[in-house]
Amino acid sequence: MTLFLQAVADGLQMGLLYALVAVGLAIIWGLMEMINFAHGEFMMLGMFGAWGLSVWLGWDPLVSMVPIAILMYLLGVLVYRLLMQRVQRGEIFTQIFATVGLFFFIQNGVVALFTSDYRFIERSLLTGLSGANLTIGGLRIGIPLLVGGLIALALFLLLYLLIDRTDFGLAMQATAEDRDAAMLVGIRPQRMYAVAWGLGTALVAVAGVILANFFSVYPQAGLSFTVMAYAIVALGGFGSILGTLMAALVVGVVQSVTAAYLPPAFKDAFVFGSYILIGLFRPQGLFGRF
Amino acid sequence: MRILRLVIAIAVLSFVAVQLNPGARAAGPVTEVLIGELLPLTGNFASLGQQYLWAGQTVEDIVNNDYPDLQVPLGPGKGFSGLGGAKMTLVVRDDQSRGEQARTLAEQLITVNKVHWLNGEGTSGNTSIIQPLVDSYGIPMSCHACASPTLTDKGFKWFFRTGPNDRTMVASVFQFLKEWPSKGGPGDLKTIALFTCDNLFCQDNRKIAADLAEKGGYKIVADLTTKTGATTLASEVQRLQSANPDVLFFVQYPAETTVFQADARRAGYMPKVVATSNGAYSDQTWLTAQKANNGAVGWLGRDPTAIDLASKKPSWKKVNEIYKKYSRGQDMGELAMREITGMLWMADTINRAKSVEPAALAKAANETNMKPDQMIIDYKGIKFDANRQNELATGVVTQIGWDDEKHTIWPWDLATQAGFKTIFPSPSWQERESKTKK
Repeated sequence: MTLFLQAVADGLQMGLLYALVAVGLAIIWGLMEMINFAHGEFMMLGMFGAWGLSVWLGWDPLVSMVPIAILMYLLGVLVYRLLMQRVQRGEIFTQIFATVGLFFFIQNGVVALFTSDYRFIERSLLTGLSGANLTIGGLRIGIPLLVGGLIALALFLLLYLLIDRTDFGLAMQATAEDRDAAMLVGIRPQRMYAVAWGLGTALVAVAGVILANFFSVYPQAGLSFTVMAYAIVALGGFGSILGTLMAALVVGVVQSVTAAYLPPAFKDAFVFGSYILIGLFRPQGLFGRF
Repeated sequence: MRILRLVIAIAVLSFVAVQLNPGARAAGPVTEVLIGELLPLTGNFASLGQQYLWAGQTVEDIVNNDYPDLQVPLGPGKGFSGLGGAKMTLVVRDDQSRGEQARTLAEQLITVNKVHWLNGEGTSGNTSIIQPLVDSYGIPMSCHACASPTLTDKGFKWFFRTGPNDRTMVASVFQFLKEWPSKGGPGDLKTIALFTCDNLFCQDNRKIAADLAEKGGYKIVADLTTKTGATTLASEVQRLQSANPDVLFFVQYPAETTVFQADARRAGYMPKVVATSNGAYSDQTWLTAQKANNGAVGWLGRDPTAIDLASKKPSWKKVNEIYKKYSRGQDMGELAMREITGMLWMADTINRAKSVEPAALAKAANETNMKPDQMIIDYKGIKFDANRQNELATGVVTQIGWDDEKHTIWPWDLATQAGFKTIFPSPSWQERESKTKK
C-alpha cells in the first residue's frame, strides 16, 4: 500500500510540473486553436536562460524567472507577428510546417551556439534543497518539487482568473470561438492572438526555468515534454485551463503508478491509453467546452 | 544503323554501370581521400555526435599537417605519403539521430559524394541500420566507439571496429567484481539489479550483464528497462529501493542519469555498488558536472582505456591539444580517444594500401597489426579476428574518486600503477553533500 501511495504522491508532484509545461500550450493550442510544435523549444530556451544567468551572473533561477518571462513574452509576440500571423489564415498544414521549421531553427541554433553538451545548474535554492523531504504519513514529498508545484499552481490560478474572470480573458475566448463576431464588438483578434502567443511562450519558458533545477539542460530537452504537453491539453479538453491542470495530474499519477507495478516501458503507453479511453467517452476531453 | 544503335546502347549501359559502381572514379593520381563522416550532430544523440566530429577533425588535422614529434600514424609529414601526399577530407553529414535518415545519407555519400571510406554512425542502433547497405556497395566502413557486439557478430565483410565491444567491457566489470574480494574488497555482494534504457546499446548491455550475473552467482532481484527520454524515474527508484540489490548495474544516458540521481537523492537511495557501462559514465560534460556535488563518487564502470594513465603519455597530451582546437577547449574523453585511435588506424590503412580502391583498402585493413606504442589509448594493439573485430582491444574498470576524476581499479597491474584506493561502499547522499560543503 505504501508503494502505491508513494507512487501517487510522486505522480502528483510530477503532474504539477507537467501542468506548468502544458499550460502555455493550453492557451495557444487549447484556447486559440493554433498549432505550435516548437512549444518545447521555448521551454528549452527558458532552461538555457536560467543556466546562462546562473553561470554568468550568479542569478538564482527563481530570480531570473522574471526577466526571462518578460523576454520570452516579447519573443512569443514577435513569433506571432512575423510568422504565425502570416500562416494563420492558410491550411492547418501551413501552421504545422511553420512551427516544425521553427522547432528545428531554435533547436539547431542552440546546438550551433552552445554545442550539444549537457549543462547543469550547480548552485541554486532548489538544487540546494534537493535531498530535503517533507514526510506526511510516511510518504516522502520532495521539497524542491513541491516548490516547483506550488509555483505551477500559483500560475494556474492567475491564468484561470485572467482567462475566466477578466474582460480581457473573455475577449480571448470570444476571439477563439468566433473571430468575425469578436471583431464586430470591437475586439482586435490579431492583438488577442499575439498576447496568447506571448503568454504561452512566457509560461512555458518559466516552466523551463523551474525544470532546469531538476533536469539537465541541453538542446533536445524540450521534446519529451512537448509530446506529454499535447496529450495533456487534449486530455484536459480544449479551452479549459482547469482541465489542463487535472489532466496533467492524471498523467503524472498514471505514469508513476504504472512504473511502480509494471515494466516501466509501459508507462507512456498507459498515458496515451488513458487518452484514448477518455476520448471514447468524452471526445472533447475531461473539461472541454468545444 | 543497327550496329550504330548497338554501339550507343552499349555506351549508355557502360556509362550507367560506371556511375552505379561506387569504386568507379576518374583515373589518375589520387589527390584527395574522401572520408564519409556520418554522425548524429542534432537530435537525441547530438552530444555523442559532436565528440566524434571533433575527433574526426583532429585526425584530419593530424593527417594533413606535419607534426614531426607526434608518434601516432601519419603524425609526421603532410598527407598520405603512400598516395603521393594526398589530403584527407571529411565529408560530414548529420542524420539528426534518425536511422532512416542515416540510411539515405549513407547511400548519398557512397553514390553521389563517392567517399572512399564511410565512418559512422556513432551509435550502435543506427549503425546496424546502415551496415547492410554499405556492405552491399562494398566499401570499407567503421564505427570505433559503437560497442554493440552484434555489429561484428553478423559477419559483414566491410565493417571494421578497432574499439572493444560491450561483451569485452561488461565482462571486465564482472571479472573485477569476482576478483575484488581477493584484493581486499567485499565478499558479500550477492544480489544485483539491472537498470537500463531501451535502445540496442542498452539492451545489449543488459543481456550481457544478465548472462554474466547468472554465471557469477548473483541473484537478479530487479530488471527494469526504461524509455529513453524519461522525465521521471521516481517509481523505478522505489522499486530498486524495495529490491535492495548489493550491486546496481546501470546503463542510462546523461539526461536520464540526471533524472535518476535527483529521484534517488530524494528517496535517499544509494546501493553499495553502482556499476555502469558507458552512457553517462562516458560523457565528459556529465562527468564534469558531477564535480559540483560529488554526484558520481564511488560509481565504477567499464572503460576502453586507463584514462588516468593514458593521459600521461606525451602523444596523448599533444593529440589533446589538437582536439581542443575543435572542441572549444574540452579535453578528450574516452569516446573521443576511441574514435581518434580508430580513425588514425583508418588513415594508416589507407596509407599502407597505397590506393583508394575498396579491395585494396580491405586487404590492408585485414592485414593490420598495429603496435600499442603507436596509439594514444592502451589497447594491446590492433589486429582483427574473422569478424573484423579488433581482438586486442581491451577493457578496464575505473572508479570516480573524491577528486571527481576516473581512476583505474582493474586490471590489477594497471590499478597498482594508478595507485588509487577503491571506494566501498558507494557514499550516501549525505556524505556527498557534507564533503561538497567542505
